[in-house]
Amino acid sequence: MVDPTWLATAPALAFGAAALVLLLADSVDPDTTNATVLGGIAVAGSLVSLAAAVYLLYGGVGIPTGQGGTGPAVILGGQLVVDQMALFFMTITASVTALVTLASVDYVREHAYQAEFYSLVLLSATGMSLLSAANSLATAFVAFELVSLPSYALVAFLKKNRGSVEAGLKYFLVGAVSSAVFAYGISLVYAATGVLRFDAVAMAIESGTVRTVVDGSVQAQASGASVPMSILGMGIIMIIGGLAFKMAAVPFQFWAPEAYEGAPAPISAFLSSASKAAGFVLAFRAFAVAFPIDALAGSGAVDWFVVFQVLAIATMFIGNFAAATQETVKRMLAYSSIGHAGYVLIGLAALSATGDGMAFSMSAGMAHLMVYGFMNTGAFLFIALAEYWGVGRRFEDYNGLGKQAPVACAAMTVFLFSLAGLPIGGGFFSKFYLFQATLNVSAWSLAAALVINSALSLFYYSRVVKAMWIEEPTGERTIESYPTGLYTAIVAAAVITVLLIPGFGYITDVAFRAVELL
Amino acid sequence: MAAFTYAPAIVLLPFVSFLVALFLGDRMPKGGALAGIAATGLSLALSIWVTLDVAGFVGSSTSYNEFIYTWVAGVDAVSLRFGLLFDPLSALMLLIVTLIAFLVHIFSLGYMNDEGETGLPRYYAGLGLFTASMLGFVVANNLLMAFIFFELVGLCSFLLIGFWFREDGPPSAAKKAFLVTRFGDYFFLIGVVGIIATFGTGLFAPITEGGEVVAHSFPGLAEDAVVDGATENIAMLETVGMGAKQWFTVLGLLVLGGVIGKSAQFPLHTWLPDAMEGPTPVSALIHAATMVAAGVYLVARMYGFYAISPTALAVIALVGGFTALFAATMGLVKQELKQVLAYSTISQYGYMMLALGSGGYVAAVFHLTTHAVFKALLFLGAGSVIIAMHHNENMWDMGGLKDRMPVTYYTFLSGSLALAGIVPFAGFWSKDEVLYEALIHGLGSKGGLGPVYLLAYTMGLVSVFVTAFYTFRMVYLTFHGKPRTDIARDPHGVGWNVKGPLSVLGVLAATIGLINMAPVAKVTGLHIDFLHKWLNGPEEGGWPATLDTGLHHYEELLHDVAGVSAGEPLGAIGTLLASAVLSLALAIAGVLVARSLYGGAEPVEHTDKLGGVKTILMHNYYQDEYQVWLATGLTHPVARAMDKFDQGVVDGVVNGVSSVSLSGGRRMRRIQSGVVSNYATLLTLGLVLLLVAFGLAGGWF
Repeated sequence: MVDPTWLATAPALAFGAAALVLLLADSVDPDTTNATVLGGIAVAGSLVSLAAAVYLLYGGVGIPTGQGGTGPAVILGGQLVVDQMALFFMTITASVTALVTLASVDYVREHAYQAEFYSLVLLSATGMSLLSAANSLATAFVAFELVSLPSYALVAFLKKNRGSVEAGLKYFLVGAVSSAVFAYGISLVYAATGVLRFDAVAMAIESGTVRTVVDGSVQAQASGASVPMSILGMGIIMIIGGLAFKMAAVPFQFWAPEAYEGAPAPISAFLSSASKAAGFVLAFRAFAVAFPIDALAGSGAVDWFVVFQVLAIATMFIGNFAAATQETVKRMLAYSSIGHAGYVLIGLAALSATGDGMAFSMSAGMAHLMVYGFMNTGAFLFIALAEYWGVGRRFEDYNGLGKQAPVACAAMTVFLFSLAGLPIGGGFFSKFYLFQATLNVSAWSLAAALVINSALSLFYYSRVVKAMWIEEPTGERTIESYPTGLYTAIVAAAVITVLLIPGFGYITDVAFRAVELL
Repeated sequence: MAAFTYAPAIVLLPFVSFLVALFLGDRMPKGGALAGIAATGLSLALSIWVTLDVAGFVGSSTSYNEFIYTWVAGVDAVSLRFGLLFDPLSALMLLIVTLIAFLVHIFSLGYMNDEGETGLPRYYAGLGLFTASMLGFVVANNLLMAFIFFELVGLCSFLLIGFWFREDGPPSAAKKAFLVTRFGDYFFLIGVVGIIATFGTGLFAPITEGGEVVAHSFPGLAEDAVVDGATENIAMLETVGMGAKQWFTVLGLLVLGGVIGKSAQFPLHTWLPDAMEGPTPVSALIHAATMVAAGVYLVARMYGFYAISPTALAVIALVGGFTALFAATMGLVKQELKQVLAYSTISQYGYMMLALGSGGYVAAVFHLTTHAVFKALLFLGAGSVIIAMHHNENMWDMGGLKDRMPVTYYTFLSGSLALAGIVPFAGFWSKDEVLYEALIHGLGSKGGLGPVYLLAYTMGLVSVFVTAFYTFRMVYLTFHGKPRTDIARDPHGVGWNVKGPLSVLGVLAATIGLINMAPVAKVTGLHIDFLHKWLNGPEEGGWPATLDTGLHHYEELLHDVAGVSAGEPLGAIGTLLASAVLSLALAIAGVLVARSLYGGAEPVEHTDKLGGVKTILMHNYYQDEYQVWLATGLTHPVARAMDKFDQGVVDGVVNGVSSVSLSGGRRMRRIQSGVVSNYATLLTLGLVLLLVAFGLAGGWF
C-alpha cells in the first residue's frame, strides 16, 4: 500500500503541479518566450509523471497483497482507484505527453503564449491520468471535462490560422453535444440504479434492485425497487456515445478529421493518441466493472458488446475507407486514427455473452493502445516536422524527402508500416493479438473487417513511404535546420516502436493481468 | 563418443573457410585457397577419426544418430530439426567427399592461382560452401535437412559453373544446371512434404536412448505398415485413398525426381555436359564427390524405403540401365576431352542406379566409391592437359602428350583403365559387381521384376563395350600418336600442386578396388570383401540393430517384400565367373577396337562412317531440342494463359475491390461536409438509430 494513499495518484499530481509551475512562471514573467525553460518544465513534469507511473506499476500497486503486490489504492471513498489498469494508461498518457511536449519546444518556439500552451497540455494530461483512475461516473465526468476543455483551446491555438480556429470551434460544438449525451446517460444510469460508483452499479445490476452508498459501503435501498432495465439500457448506450466522442469512434467521429487537421501537429498527436486512450480506459473500466456483461446479457437492458461490435466495424470501415481517398497526409492520418479506434474497439467487442474472452480481447486492445501511443504520436510528430520545414500538406509534397532527411523519413517509415501492421514495429503483434481475440470468440465479422481494413490501410500508408523514398522531388525545397527536440522525440518514438517487438510479450502480460485484476 | 562430439566441425570447417575466403580472401595470399585447404584437410582428418570410431577402433559407440538443433518446434505437430547420422555409409561418404574436396582445393592452386585467374576469393568461397553443403547433406539424419543441403549444393553448383560470368557460355550453363535440377527438386520437395505428412517424421534411422526407440524413422514406419499392416497411425493413407505400398511407391518416386535431376539421369541429364563450362576442378568436384553423387547417395541413404517397393526398384533399375547405355553412346563422338568425361559420368551414375534398383546395395556404394576416385582423377588429369594446352580442349588438337607430361599420362591411364573396367583397376571390380547383381537378380526374381532387371542388365553390359571404346579413344587421341598442333608439341608445364593430387588419385584408382574383391572372395573363400562387411556390420547387435541401415536388413526386405531373389543357373561360382569374364571380354574388346581405330601415329576421324547416327549422336539424341521445345512450345503458352488469367481475372477482382474501396471512400468523405450543424444532425441521428435498434431488440418499448 502506498502511504499516504493519495500519493498513488502521483502521475496525475505531477502533471497538475507542472501545470501550476508553468502558470506561476508565466505570471512572474508574462512576456517570456524562453521556449527552452517553459518546454523544459513541461517535459520534466511529464517525465516525473512517467517515472511515477512506471514505478508504481512495477511496485505492484493494484496487485493483491497475496500475490506479492500492495493492493489497489482506493481514494476518496472509492471515487478513484489506482490499480494496474490505471497505471498502465497513466504510463501511456505520460509517454505521449513527454514526446509531445518535447516536440513542441521547436514547434511553438516562435509563438506567444507558450506557457499557456504547455499548461493546457499538462492540465489535459492531468485529466487523462485522473480518468484512468476514475471509479465512479461522477469523477469520470469531471475528469472527462478536464481532458476536453483544454484540448478545445489547444486545437485553436494557432489563432491567426483560420483552419485552426474553425477546427477548435467545431470540436467544441461537437464536444458540447457529446458531453450532453454523456451526462444524460450518466443521469439515466443513476436514475435506474441509484448509485454512481462502478462497483455499486454492478451490485445493483446483479441484484436487480436499486442501491445506495452509505459511508462508503453499498447497501440496498429501503424501497427495494427493482432496476428498470430499459432506462438502464438507454443510459448505457448514451454513455457509449459520450465515450465514442473521446475515442473518435462512429457516430461521434465527425470532429476528428477537422480537429486533427486544423490543430498544431503536436496537438493532433496528443489528441489522437493520449486523448483516445483516455476514452478507452474509461470504457474498459466502466464496462468491465460497472456493467458486467454476464448479468446484463438477456436482462432486457442491452448486450453492450453487440453495440461495440457494430461501432467497431463501422468505425474501421469509415476510418480506413475515407483515409484511402485523402489528398493530404495529415488528414489521411486523422482518418487512420479513426480506423485505429475501430481496431481497439474490438477489445470491447470480441467477447461472448458470458464474458468469456474479455480479458484477452481487452488486454489486446490495451496493448494496441500502448503501441499506438508511440507509432501514431511519432507519425503526427513527423507531420509537425514537415510543417516546421514548410513542406506542403499533400502526398506529392513529400516526394524525395527521404534524401534530405533520411533519419526522420526512416522513422516515419517505421511508424507507417507499424500502423499498417507489418512486423517492423510492435503494431504487427498488437493487431495480431486483436485478430486472435476475434478468432477466440468466433467473431468472424470483426476478424474479416480487421483483415480487410488492414490490407486497405497498407495501401494508403505506403503512398507516403513511396513518396518519401521512391519519387523524385518535384519542386525546390531547402531544409535549413534540423530541430533537436522534434528529432529526439521522433527517433525515440521510432526506437520504442521497434523495441516493442521484443517487448511485446511483456506489455501483454501486464495488460492481461491488469484486466484480470479489475 | 569423442569423435562424434567434434563431428559437426566436419561440416562447419569448410563453411568457415567459405566465410573467410569471402570476406578476407582479398587480403590473404592465394586468394583464400589456404583456408580452404586447411579446412578440408582438417575435415578429412576428422572424417578419418569418425570412420575409425564407426569401425570400432576408437571410441565406445559405433554409430551416432541425434538431433542437435531444433529450428521449428512443433506443438502437437512436426518439429523441424537438424541432426547428425553417422553409420558406415555416411562415414564412407564423408571420407570420399573430404578427400576429393581436399585434393581439388590443392589442384586449384595450379589450375586457378598459377594461371592468374581473377576473382579467386569468390572461387574459393564457392568451393568451401559447396563442400560444406555436401557434407551437411551426407551427415543429415532427416529428409528435410537433407533437402535443404541438397538445394544448397544446387545453389553452389550454379555459382561455380557460372564462375566466368563475363563469357557467354558459363552463365547460360549455370542457369541450365540450376533450372533442370530444380525441375527434379520440385518433385523431391513434394516428396519430402508427403513423407513428413504421412509419417510425421523425416528421420532416416530411428533414434534410440538406452535401447528404447524414442523417435521412429520413416523407412521403419513404412516397413511396419507394409510388412505388419500397421497402418492405423498413418492417416494420410485414408486421405489419398491408396494402399500403403502404392502410396509409398508414389512418395519414393517423387523423391526420385530429385535424384534423377541431381544425378543427371535420363531425362534430366542435359544440364551436366553443359556444366563443363565451369572451371575443371569444379567439374571434378561436381562429378566425383558432391553434386551428382548426392542423388545416388540419397537413394542409398533411404534404401529401406525403396526396398519395400518393387515398382520403385524397377523404375530405378531401368532408368539406370538406360542412362548408362544412352549416355555412353553420346560419348562416342565427342571431340572435347571434358565432354567425353561428362557423358561418361552420366553413364557411370546410371550403373549405380542400376545396382540400387536391382538390389545391389553394396555394388552401388562400391561403384560410387571407385567412381569418385577415378572420375576425380580423370577430371584433374583433363585439367592438367587443359593447362598444358592453354585451355584448348579439343582432342583433335592434341596427340603425343604421353612423352611430354608423363605423370599426367600414367595417372590418366590408371583412371582410364579403371573407367573402362580392366582388371585389376578399381572400376572393374565395382562395375563387375553391379552387373553381376543385376544378372542374378534378373534371373532369379519372380514376376515382372526379373525381365526388367535382365533388360537393364543387357543395356549395362553393352555399355561396358562402349565405355571402354570411348575411354581409349580419348586416351589415344590425347596422349598417343604425333602432336597435331604446335601447342601440343610444346605444352605448358604443370607444377607439384597438379601432380600431387594426380599421383594420390592415380594410385588409388589402381588399388581402391581391392576393398571389395567379391569374385576373388567367393572363389577362394578368403574374407577379403571388406566393403561388404563394412556395410553389413556385425551379425548380432551393434549399429545395424540400432539404426536398421545394415545390409542384412536391406537384403531381407528386398527378398521378403519386393521379391528380389538370386538365380544362378551355372552354380554360384560358375555364374560369377561367367559374368566377370563376359564384362571383362567386352571391355577389352572395346579397348582393342579403339586402339585399331585411333591407335596410329596420325589417327583420322571415323565418325562419318556412322552416317545418320552420327548426326543424332552429335546432337545428343535431340534431348536439348525437345526440352527447349517443351519450355517454349508448351510451358510458355501455358504460362501465358495463366498470366492472362492472373491479369484478367485475379487482378481484375483485386482492381475491382480497390476501385469499389476508393469510390466507397469518396462517399465516406462526402459525409464530412465541413458544416458543423450537419455533424450535430448526423451524430444525433446515429445515436437515435442505435437507441431505437437496441431498444427494439431489448424490448424497452
